[in-house]
Amino acid sequence: MFRSLTLLSILLAASVGAMCAQRTAEQDSNHQEMVKLVPEPLPADTAVKYKAFYGPDNLYEYMDGAADIFVLYGVRTLLHLELRAKAADITADVFDMGSPDTAFGVYAAERSPDFHFIAMGAEGYQYEGMLNFLQDRYYVKLLGFGDGVDAELESLARELSARIGANPTLPKLLGRLPAENRKPHSEQYMPTNPLGHAFLGPAYVAAYGAGDQESKLFVTVAREASDAQERLKQLEAHFAKTGLLKPAPELGEGAIRASNSFEGSVLAQTKGRYLILLVNPVKGSEQLLKNAAASLE
Amino acid sequence: MEKFHSWNRRDFIARVMGSLAASPLLGRSDFLFGQSAKSAPAAPKADASAKPIYRTLGRTSISLPIVSMGVMNADVPGLIPRSYQLGIRHFDTAAVYQQGRNEEMVGRMIKEMGVRDKVIISTKVARPGRSRDRNQTSSLTYSPAEVKANLLDIFQGSLKRLQMDHVDILYNHAADSVAEVNSEGTLEAMAALKKEGKARFLGVSSHRPEMVLKEAMKLGVYDVVLITINFTMASDEELLRTIDEAAKKGIGIVAMKTQAGGALRPDPKLGKPLTPASQTALLKWVLHHESITTAIPGYTTYEQLEQNFSVASNLAYTTEEKEFLSDKNAVANAQFCAQCGQCRPDCPQGVDIPQLMRSHMYAVQYSNHSLAAETMAPIASGKGLATCESCESCRATCRHSVNIARKIEHLKKLASSGVLQA
Repeated sequence: MFRSLTLLSILLAASVGAMCAQRTAEQDSNHQEMVKLVPEPLPADTAVKYKAFYGPDNLYEYMDGAADIFVLYGVRTLLHLELRAKAADITADVFDMGSPDTAFGVYAAERSPDFHFIAMGAEGYQYEGMLNFLQDRYYVKLLGFGDGVDAELESLARELSARIGANPTLPKLLGRLPAENRKPHSEQYMPTNPLGHAFLGPAYVAAYGAGDQESKLFVTVAREASDAQERLKQLEAHFAKTGLLKPAPELGEGAIRASNSFEGSVLAQTKGRYLILLVNPVKGSEQLLKNAAASLE
Repeated sequence: MEKFHSWNRRDFIARVMGSLAASPLLGRSDFLFGQSAKSAPAAPKADASAKPIYRTLGRTSISLPIVSMGVMNADVPGLIPRSYQLGIRHFDTAAVYQQGRNEEMVGRMIKEMGVRDKVIISTKVARPGRSRDRNQTSSLTYSPAEVKANLLDIFQGSLKRLQMDHVDILYNHAADSVAEVNSEGTLEAMAALKKEGKARFLGVSSHRPEMVLKEAMKLGVYDVVLITINFTMASDEELLRTIDEAAKKGIGIVAMKTQAGGALRPDPKLGKPLTPASQTALLKWVLHHESITTAIPGYTTYEQLEQNFSVASNLAYTTEEKEFLSDKNAVANAQFCAQCGQCRPDCPQGVDIPQLMRSHMYAVQYSNHSLAAETMAPIASGKGLATCESCESCRATCRHSVNIARKIEHLKKLASSGVLQA
């Protein structure tokens, strides 16, 4: 516990120090919110090696091209700290992504279903010297090395999670998607360009297994039903130009089957303001599309 | 600051893999462009029947279409076969992109398509210790042996993810300093991989094009250099001369960041999003330099792919593209400083505004703060950024509508945060 308090106290000192370099009231306000994520006081035997706040217009200074995806998902602020506590060196990156959806999106974009998942926040995973987790609008990435660092990272993560407090759940829409055969930790949220089409964003995604094959369910969220219909029309136009397009009334009103040589096969239909797509449908997976449509009513 | 760590191998690799997860990649891509298909003007379409222009990649003798695919941010597998269908033959990735999943996607798709012998695959591996701001001095240092071992480990992972026994070009990734270009451990590892046939050709990528080209010419080891080059550098005559000189010496030159950050400006407050015609115009501007063999624009939609590849068969500017490149307003929206110097008399302190604008370009559009600092360093005393501190806002006016005050403020902010250090 003392170790975690030590680390968390360092976070506070570093945050306050870094805040001094910031100028705008908006930034200061946001930084104040992030400072509240960490407790005080500071122990004496700790050291901050490096500290900074970054925003969308200067995240490149820290992450270079890796910043693209965070900017794409709407990052507001990164609190970046490099800490030294006894024998442990730890880097703590706390991303305020502005909303739970976008925090989930960027977290999921960096996640692999093969990771070792732990109960942390809405979801987290850990492996040697690394622990990442998601909670509310925050994506927290901890990295370190040294003896016993994994326990230190976990302790630090739990303290941060407790301070964040709110919303330790994944986006609600994911809970409405069919659970049967859904691959664990395969869900994603894509704000732009899902399936390589700008008109399909944003979309929630989940993978479904069928034997050794996999289908992906995309639920693209339009403003209203007419927008969803417009998206379907654009999709139809794309496949009519590049491949095959057939109506599929057996799947539902307005449903289509489409394919081309580079995107494979797609089933699609609208339900209210949602356009639902099943990519790479396998035998029997039509029912998955129907179930998804029913659950989104 | 710590010196060499006595880590065991497990710690070392864990740290390096951790660095991969939060690692800096090469600059921003163009993938933010085109998010609103309905509101954006129609983009040019590629004509699959049109024959792309091919150029030879220096002494490698590899012949490539002038437009290739920077796979970096693409997460739609179908973009790769579609790119191949249209005529793209070179796919560029890196070990750090999407924590290795980018390489996995490239490998899987190339294998499924069965075209490994028809395409040129490049990947990149970075030296350890680059997990933080590249303008800061890392607190971790590595022996050449550690660097070599690390690179060999990472590259082995790359080959596994790519499902290949070799790559065509292996880059020393993001070598933005002379020391990084000449890194002993890196060069030893790369030479060994070339000798083993796991990398046909060696390359280096950098945001500091002039530096890296000059170093590559001196060193004579790198067959290919991947550089940042775009219209914002149009007035950099020394750079353009160096590109030609390097090409004449047999170095293959590949261009990245050709659209200077895509249709969204690096600093959104600096200018309006650009049009599709601006994107093809910017790509064509780069490819009009015949010393550049190919460009690797990043794209994440089929529309962007078609737009980019439309350039490959025809470099002639369309009317709209000519208008963009010659229209003062359009260029002003892009906030390109033409270095005309007409703003100088506006400053009562006589500050060297063009040089500061150039520094801003390096800091923001190249994301290269050390180069920005180096550019400011020779400015005469009393004529530099420090003098600007005495003014609340800049009174200089650009005849081409560049927002000088905003850029000066941005530079001040960067300077106050301590990142502008040579």
